[in-house]
Amino acid sequence: MHLFIEHLTKSYDEKKVLDISRLEIDSGCFWGIIGPNGSGKSTLLKIISSLTAPCQSRILYDGLPLNDRLLLDMTLVFQKPYLLRTSVFQNIAYPLQLRHVSSRQLKEQVEEMLTRFQIEHLRDQKAWTLSGGEAQKVALARALVFKPRLIMLDEPTANIDPTSILLLEKQIRIHYETYRPTVLMVTHNLQQTKRMCDQVAFLHEGTLQDAGPLEKVFGGHAHPLVHSFIQQGLI
Amino acid sequence: MDNLLQGTRDAVHLLISMDPEFLEIVGLSLFVSLTATFLAGIVAIPFGLTIGIKEFPGKKMLVRLIYTLMSMPPVVIGLVIFLLLLRSGPLGRFRLNFTPTAMIIAQFCLVTPIITGVVFNGTKERGSEIRDLAKTLGASPSQTLWLLIRELRINIMSAVVTGYGRAISEVGAVMVVGGNIRGHTRVMTTTIAMLRNMGEYSLAIATGIVLLLISFIINSLLYHWQQER
Repeated sequence: MHLFIEHLTKSYDEKKVLDISRLEIDSGCFWGIIGPNGSGKSTLLKIISSLTAPCQSRILYDGLPLNDRLLLDMTLVFQKPYLLRTSVFQNIAYPLQLRHVSSRQLKEQVEEMLTRFQIEHLRDQKAWTLSGGEAQKVALARALVFKPRLIMLDEPTANIDPTSILLLEKQIRIHYETYRPTVLMVTHNLQQTKRMCDQVAFLHEGTLQDAGPLEKVFGGHAHPLVHSFIQQGLI
Repeated sequence: MDNLLQGTRDAVHLLISMDPEFLEIVGLSLFVSLTATFLAGIVAIPFGLTIGIKEFPGKKMLVRLIYTLMSMPPVVIGLVIFLLLLRSGPLGRFRLNFTPTAMIIAQFCLVTPIITGVVFNGTKERGSEIRDLAKTLGASPSQTLWLLIRELRINIMSAVVTGYGRAISEVGAVMVVGGNIRGHTRVMTTTIAMLRNMGEYSLAIATGIVLLLISFIINSLLYHWQQER
């Protein structure tokens, strides 16, 4: 899904938290959204996914303003995912049920996700009994199962163990290479950005400081702020 | 103490004897309170969910009003409904005073703020999270509402049980609008009040025990259903 964002502003109690004059995201690109805490990264994802209303904006999805049809083609995975009070299987099946997928296809697709995320053994377990890492795997499996064309990930691997991080990264990347959705991933992890993303947007205090291919943003001619934050280990 | 023991014996006797008049009182009590709770639930559950997840001007004032109405004395609600339904009142043409319908209306007004308030409290904790999840997975507004109900079912069930408990146990409102007319608007609580006035303490206790027993059975059924889900 192609995204075009223009004149995007968001304020909370008179404080401007986001002010992006222009950002264009090509269809099928994997973007990393980076920046220090409070730079507006999560707010940007929430605005794109229409969970938060901007003060002002012009956002076009495949050249169109947001509509119900487009909403069915996108998803956002939160840092602390909310799992439904039911089994792991039912959690992953939920978006397919919303789309009235036949029960045979539903079962096949959910089983595939359980295998891919190595959580087959948790199939019938109640979601509230899962560990943080397991819950994040279920949330990602649930977000990918219906193959959205725009996937937004808000720090999807924060606070989970290194083995699970590698598995999640691998599955996200496999999914991306197989179906070529547009991916926007907020992360604090510079190494992860380099492993996963092709394009990067760097936000600071709500404004877009730099955006473009990985090698441009992190290369020899990196923006001074980006360079400074990398040096200080803030991203 | 003698009255309590005698009351317990009478309660057993009342249950075994299946006295038609007593059964009618029990039946009407259940009919009035369950209908009022059911109707209040239809209004209050979506209302509580909506104010729990939406931000709008005047929300704080509305919540304060709901909390205030939650502790409204039943007799006051009964009086207001009675005055509204009085022949010379604005709804007098319906001639509903001293009918089970008037009792249902009074209990509906009593229970609606309670269910709304309890549902609101549960929704403000997790409601936004559930709504956001539904939206990010492509749920329509009606699918989102259904998901909210499903996810907050324990809280909603508590709200309904609390509301029902309030309805079945109150005496003031049904006494004012119903009038405790034998064979017509007499329910268990008004029977207890009447028996107490007549000095029939053990029979009043017996009716109270039966009332408690019925409440226990209904709550157990609801609790069991909630666990099953």
